[in-house]
Amino acid sequence: MPQKIPYSIRLILKFIPAMAVALLILLPMDVFAIQLHASSEGIITHQMGHLFFLFSMVALIFTVTGKGLDRQKGWRLIQYSAFFFILWNLASTTAHFFDNQIHAVKIENISFGKIKIITSNDSSVLAWFYYVLKLDHLLCVPAMVLLYKGLSTLVAEQKSRLTKQDTT
Amino acid sequence: MIFSSIPILMVDVAGSVAMVVIALLSLYKATRLREMDPDNAVSLYLLWICVGFTIFAVSRSFGHILKQFLIMTANTETWHSISSYSGSVNTVSFMLVGLITLFFNQNWKINEKILAGRKKLEDTHIKLMDLNQTLEQKVVERTELLTSSEHKCRRIFEQSLDTIMVTDSEFKVMEINPAGIVLTGYSREEMIMKKMTAGSFFADHFEWERISNLIDSKEYILNEEIEFLKPGNETLLVLITGGVDYGAFGCAKSYHFIIKNVNEKRQMERQIAQADKLAALGELSAGVAHEINNPLGIILGYTQLLLKEDSKHKDDLKIIEKHVQTCKTVVSDLLSFSRKGSSEMGIVDINKVVDGVIKFLSNHSDFRNIEMSLNPHTGDMLNILGNEQELAQVIINLVINACHAVEGKGKIDIATQKTKQDKILIMVKDNGKGIEKKNLSKIFDPFFTTKPVGQGTGLGLSVGYGIIKRHQGDIRVKSSEGKGTIFTISLPADNSII
Repeated sequence: MPQKIPYSIRLILKFIPAMAVALLILLPMDVFAIQLHASSEGIITHQMGHLFFLFSMVALIFTVTGKGLDRQKGWRLIQYSAFFFILWNLASTTAHFFDNQIHAVKIENISFGKIKIITSNDSSVLAWFYYVLKLDHLLCVPAMVLLYKGLSTLVAEQKSRLTKQDTT
Repeated sequence: MIFSSIPILMVDVAGSVAMVVIALLSLYKATRLREMDPDNAVSLYLLWICVGFTIFAVSRSFGHILKQFLIMTANTETWHSISSYSGSVNTVSFMLVGLITLFFNQNWKINEKILAGRKKLEDTHIKLMDLNQTLEQKVVERTELLTSSEHKCRRIFEQSLDTIMVTDSEFKVMEINPAGIVLTGYSREEMIMKKMTAGSFFADHFEWERISNLIDSKEYILNEEIEFLKPGNETLLVLITGGVDYGAFGCAKSYHFIIKNVNEKRQMERQIAQADKLAALGELSAGVAHEINNPLGIILGYTQLLLKEDSKHKDDLKIIEKHVQTCKTVVSDLLSFSRKGSSEMGIVDINKVVDGVIKFLSNHSDFRNIEMSLNPHTGDMLNILGNEQELAQVIINLVINACHAVEGKGKIDIATQKTKQDKILIMVKDNGKGIEKKNLSKIFDPFFTTKPVGQGTGLGLSVGYGIIKRHQGDIRVKSSEGKGTIFTISLPADNSII
């Protein structure tokens, strides 16, 4: 049974809305109803999206293992796919961190087929690292391929299961 | 630092195209999986993921290809103006994939519940099928048992030698077995069509009232001895047991009766009782006759001596002699009845004896107005082992009795027969006044007579009975008042001379 609120407290609670209304009327001041958004919000949201995606892939890996589904080849391949997506998210997040967040890296098109990567401290290691990070499709395409392979295996397993059921 | 943009460009464009193609292929596979197992929530989940990935791949690839195209065509500014939108769509798409993925656990739980539910449903279905099969099997078994039981009951009903009769609440016959049809003498159709009641078979209407009241008050009757009347006015004794059935399974109230024919049994019991009575009388008579015979001999001897010597009381002595002689005859008859006498046995031709009796009696004045006929058995010789004179005496007695029954004018038939059981029957039938029912059980008793005083000693039939019993035979009587009487002597045939 929930404890009964004492009468004095209830009386105070009753007066709070009335007091708030009274303050608003008696003490007026400027309010900013529409919040202004800075330009960095977009990249932060994007980064958060990447991290959310990454987290969901980690969760998927552990859930598949937790359910014992990793004993099936199809689900194992989906786990590998999730792993590659994690790597891709890490790569993308890092690249965005350098170019959009801290602006440590900047790309300039010099001519067709030539680009200049300008790093804030002229670090060639960072330039090379950023150059490699720009090849992120090398991570997400294998992730998609592994997802496709995983699904194909699940389809094949299901098909053989159905054939076996029909035979019996 | 200056780098070649070609690898980045190549990987970006080719990768984007590959992403779209593989995402679509994955979507196709997920659709196939869903089609193969439409009830599986996991396959639905995988389909959603693939849809998410396809949106992600298409939006991202489109953005990347567009970006490369615009940069290559020196429209970098344009790209900058739309890159925010492309990025936002891209963000939303992989967030969507992430969101769907996070639902996997929940989805899995739902799927497990569905599968567990389905398994339970399948198990229940199997159990139900099993129960249904068991039920069907049980129904078949019970039906067989019921049919068998019904068949047994029907057989008992049909084959029973006792009458089984079912009547409605007003005692109208509803069912009766073949034994009942034979017993009552009515056909089933007659009984049912004419709505005959159980009381219709009773010879005495008051007796039926008593029985029906009894069954209504006690709800049963047990072994009540009743006289039934058959269609030809023939009566027979039956034992009747019955009870009320208040009707189970929606049946109406009915009465069930079991009727046993005890006619022959009762007749046999009467005969046995009669035979026992006559045997006892025979023993008594033999004792008395033996004790009287000797003093009578002495009285007769001395009377005859006095007759020779003294002529003064000659007339008185002659009267004494005559009455002593009568007493001697009675004693002799009593001895004959009690089978204590001795007689010589030989082969006797019954037809010859009967023929002799008829010839002897037909000359008698009492038989002048009586039509006598003889129906002798033809074919086999009717030989028996016995005493010809004694047998002739019995037949003469029966014929004389018949003559008295017809009161000097009527018809007497004498017939002989040989049965399959090697019995020789001699039947003396008259169309006289018959014997009263109450006297039927006494006619073989010594000294029982219905004739006026002086006309008979009452020893004729009892002596005849004794003679026939001594010949291992039997004598029976059947009489209807006003219609006549038939005496039947049964003797064992002798087949030593054929």
